Amino acid sequence: MRLSSGYLHRGSAARIGALAALLLVVGFLYLVPLLWMGVVSIKPADQAAAPGVGLLPNVESPDHPGERLSYVEPDYWAGAGKQAARNYRDVWDSPVADFPLYFKNSTIIATLSVLGMVVSSAVVAYGFARLKWPGRDGVFVLVLATLMIPPAVLMAPQYVLFKQLGWIGTFRPLWVLAWFGGAFSIFLLRQFFLTIPRELDEAARIDGCSHLGVFLRVILPMAKPALAIVALIQFASSWNDFQGPLLFLNHQDQYTLALGLQSYHQQHGGTPWNLVMAASCLVVFPVLVLYVVARRFFVESDASRGIKE
Amino acid sequence: MTVHPAILRARRRDLARGLLWISPWLVGFALFMLAPAVMSLRYSLADYTLLEPPVFIGLANYRELLGDRMFRIAVQNTLLFGAFSVIGTTLLSVLIAVLLEQRLRGAALVRAVVFAPTLVPIVSACVTWGWLFNAKFGLINSALAAVGIDGPDWLGTRAMAMPSLILMSFWVIGTSLMVCSAALKDVPVSLYEAADLDGVPAWRRFWNVTLPMISPAVMFNAMMSLIWSLQVFAPPQIMTRGGPENSTLVYSMYVYSNAFVYGRMGYACALAWVQLLVTLVLAALLLLTGRRFVYYRAA
Amino acid sequence: MPPAPPTDPSREPTISRRGALGVLGAGAAAAVILPRRPRSRAGIPAGRTVIDYWEKWTGPEGDAVQRLVDGFNASQGRIWVRRIPVSDIMSKAMVAISGGDPPDVVGLFSYNVPQFAESKAALALDEFGGAGGGEGGRIDPELYIPAVRRLLSHEGRQWAAVSSVYNLALYYNRAQFRKAGMDPDRPPRTISELDAAAERLMVVGDVGQIEHAGFLQNLPAWWPYFWPIMFGGRLYDPVANRAILTDDATVAAYSWVQSYPRRYGAGATSEFGNVYARSFHSPQDPFSSGACSMIVQGPWIANFLRRYSPEFDYGAAPVPVADHLYDPQKPTGMLEADVLVIPRGCRHPEEAFEFVRHTQWQEVQERLCLEHCKSSPLREVSPGFMESHPNRYVRVHDAISKSPAVEILPQTRVWQPYADMLVGAFDAIWRGADVKPALRTVETRAQALMDQAALRRRQREARG
Repeated sequence: MRLSSGYLHRGSAARIGALAALLLVVGFLYLVPLLWMGVVSIKPADQAAAPGVGLLPNVESPDHPGERLSYVEPDYWAGAGKQAARNYRDVWDSPVADFPLYFKNSTIIATLSVLGMVVSSAVVAYGFARLKWPGRDGVFVLVLATLMIPPAVLMAPQYVLFKQLGWIGTFRPLWVLAWFGGAFSIFLLRQFFLTIPRELDEAARIDGCSHLGVFLRVILPMAKPALAIVALIQFASSWNDFQGPLLFLNHQDQYTLALGLQSYHQQHGGTPWNLVMAASCLVVFPVLVLYVVARRFFVESDASRGIKE
Repeated sequence: MTVHPAILRARRRDLARGLLWISPWLVGFALFMLAPAVMSLRYSLADYTLLEPPVFIGLANYRELLGDRMFRIAVQNTLLFGAFSVIGTTLLSVLIAVLLEQRLRGAALVRAVVFAPTLVPIVSACVTWGWLFNAKFGLINSALAAVGIDGPDWLGTRAMAMPSLILMSFWVIGTSLMVCSAALKDVPVSLYEAADLDGVPAWRRFWNVTLPMISPAVMFNAMMSLIWSLQVFAPPQIMTRGGPENSTLVYSMYVYSNAFVYGRMGYACALAWVQLLVTLVLAALLLLTGRRFVYYRAA
Repeated sequence: MPPAPPTDPSREPTISRRGALGVLGAGAAAAVILPRRPRSRAGIPAGRTVIDYWEKWTGPEGDAVQRLVDGFNASQGRIWVRRIPVSDIMSKAMVAISGGDPPDVVGLFSYNVPQFAESKAALALDEFGGAGGGEGGRIDPELYIPAVRRLLSHEGRQWAAVSSVYNLALYYNRAQFRKAGMDPDRPPRTISELDAAAERLMVVGDVGQIEHAGFLQNLPAWWPYFWPIMFGGRLYDPVANRAILTDDATVAAYSWVQSYPRRYGAGATSEFGNVYARSFHSPQDPFSSGACSMIVQGPWIANFLRRYSPEFDYGAAPVPVADHLYDPQKPTGMLEADVLVIPRGCRHPEEAFEFVRHTQWQEVQERLCLEHCKSSPLREVSPGFMESHPNRYVRVHDAISKSPAVEILPQTRVWQPYADMLVGAFDAIWRGADVKPALRTVETRAQALMDQAALRRRQREARG
């Protein structure tokens, strides 16, 4: 029932106005850094993060060099558009970083880890949510405790392990682990499974379903929103992972987008901030689209309930 | 006491089935966490430079911690960051989630905007914020100057650097927001209707009905935020390099430097194990204090 | 009054989300399936032994290294070098070596040499090559300027070859010198002259903010351990394995550093430094944009200046020294190098050496020096090198490199933590901490690390 959400709806017009204003302010504050990224990504290098340049880039008149065009002139927008296109093309065709290739690598790695994380975490979560076995709750606490292990504890030994498995310099260290479930996802899914009425299981079991049947035919279809959340979070973390690729990939042909971003950073200053931001926007964009498209699965869906111990 | 063999058999069968279902996690845990963790525990008892074989030195690394000033500074800074970041992000996610639940035009768009920072690569986010915080050319101080306020040197002073990083952490609350929103959607309408009939003011309704009902989600967020904030690394590493005067040198940075820059992996492992223990203790404390406030619906 | 109608996104007239998801999925699948020839693999001739070369440079400096690699690849038909730009190169190299999967050549910093040498993570270069100095021969250490030779070796053996060297000089804005009534051909030579010039050029605003800086030691704050050298301090005694931070020269150096924030305000000077911390070598560089008249910088700055401000009127001179140390024949400075190391456990050490050997030829070195705007690390300089050099002040850098008074950073494997602690101490001193106690804290901890490293080394050797 959608009604449940609007519990302040009996307020006066003044209150609604205040809330709307607050909403606007919140949205604006969270938007500003994103906006800044976008704005810098379309500026020429000498205007990126420079004093005396407004939010929009300055464009010189093609006929009178040195003369700034005003925003109302069509030439301004033609010039600004050309500059923006040049930045993005520079990034895409850059000789230092092969972004189309990194795009492909990131896609492969993120897809494999999302698939693995969703499948394995769902199976494991079922084992915690629907089966009774001795020691279950203890093991579940252990699952949660693994979240607290600082990554630095594991980094070096994992490297040695991957080395022995012959995985260094391959994509495997970046996606195989996802196929063994992650504590955060398992927890999220378990909590969600617990909210699915048991009567549905019982009915399926009376019809002769095994646990596998219940899992596939009852639980998974009901849990789509939670699976979508897990998929999105995993996608974002895999897509943006920097430390893993830095440590485990040894060839530039295997770089991911997040690692490729680093190609623009210079030892001692001189970093082309406009290109860094253009590259960043290129990295963010696919994820953002994915989020907007998939949003209804988790945020708006009133089926997405979950966390209640 | 003897247990009936049939019950014992059934139990064993249950156990086998349970383990079978969670076997992906078990295998992954044993292979990729337990084994490396045991190895790192061994390293923590050794002088291990990464480049040479480890030499066993007993508890010397742990003893060294006691006299290490940088270790103390890193602990203080991390706890400071953690305390404010946990409280701030947890509260903010509740407040914004509640705001978004009001039936206002544009809420869906704002929700997307608030969530989006979670998707930005951390390196880009840090670079962006580094510029926003610039004392002279930064957007924040330019905006403040426009209304006649002389903005501080955000990342450049002892007093402001850590608060600036904490402020930035408030920007990345997408996951907690999602969790909160999901919980809010699940509060039974009947409770609000009951409250409405009584003519209770809105804030009391929030305090007495909403908050208790979503408290498990808030607790979950606080826990995740605690874990993540104690592991914070990229923002201080990229934006302040731990300065000024080590005032933003956080624990994970010190661990990383020792492990991969100073060639002191043994010491780094000891540091990391201390970090794990402290995290466990703080998480337990949080759970204990939370027990008094968190309301669990009867199943 | 009902509020705005509920926004129910599922009812919004949008394109079908399923359709959009499908398009997205198809796009991703296409990206994965479409065959793309990686740019880096394009054009490796068959039959070559491919060796991997990790290097830190990116941007135009990286392009210059790529041209060097291209030159080598074209010069012979047996080996193909693949340059891989790597960030965090030292950490990554350490992990790769410990994991047994290192590249064949890695570009490190000269201060990494002791660490890699003592742990035998690098192969000593004197093991390679036949007799004689020609093609296929060993690298003759006599090729290098003496200070460079010190940078490349540790405990009597050569562990690295040189990629490029730099030392720091004082770059100054000639136009601003003229405007302030000073002789642009007579830059400050001693600390007192520097103080006087800085004072004349400094412009402080009405609320104490710095409008324009004559000179500030925190701009850039990349070498907080540099100033003791200019006062005759040494930071480290390699014979006794002792950290030296509280001797008179070092204390005098940092006290002098502190005199600037004392005079112009710690807050104002820090803020000025932070504002420009990310702008170096960009169009908003504090030096080229005129915000600061004098700056201690490496030779590469000439590269950025000619790109962004070709008209900029600047000069360069040795960094001023403490008055009693001034000797025009022996300029003081700090020499550092980017070095090439062949890691232990690499697949093609012989081929790697052949490449490294190639990079040490005079004409190859000099070409890279020209592109990086640096002076040559070699004793011999080709006729015309100085004259055609894009850095007008290459002679200043060259004189410092070859000066008997030039210093190098402490050659100890605990230099990294030592340097990191000095960063913190520099900050603290800048903000008014008592100089000697602040230095003593660092010295004590650094000494403990040095003693410990020595002890562990003995333990290791005892175990064989």
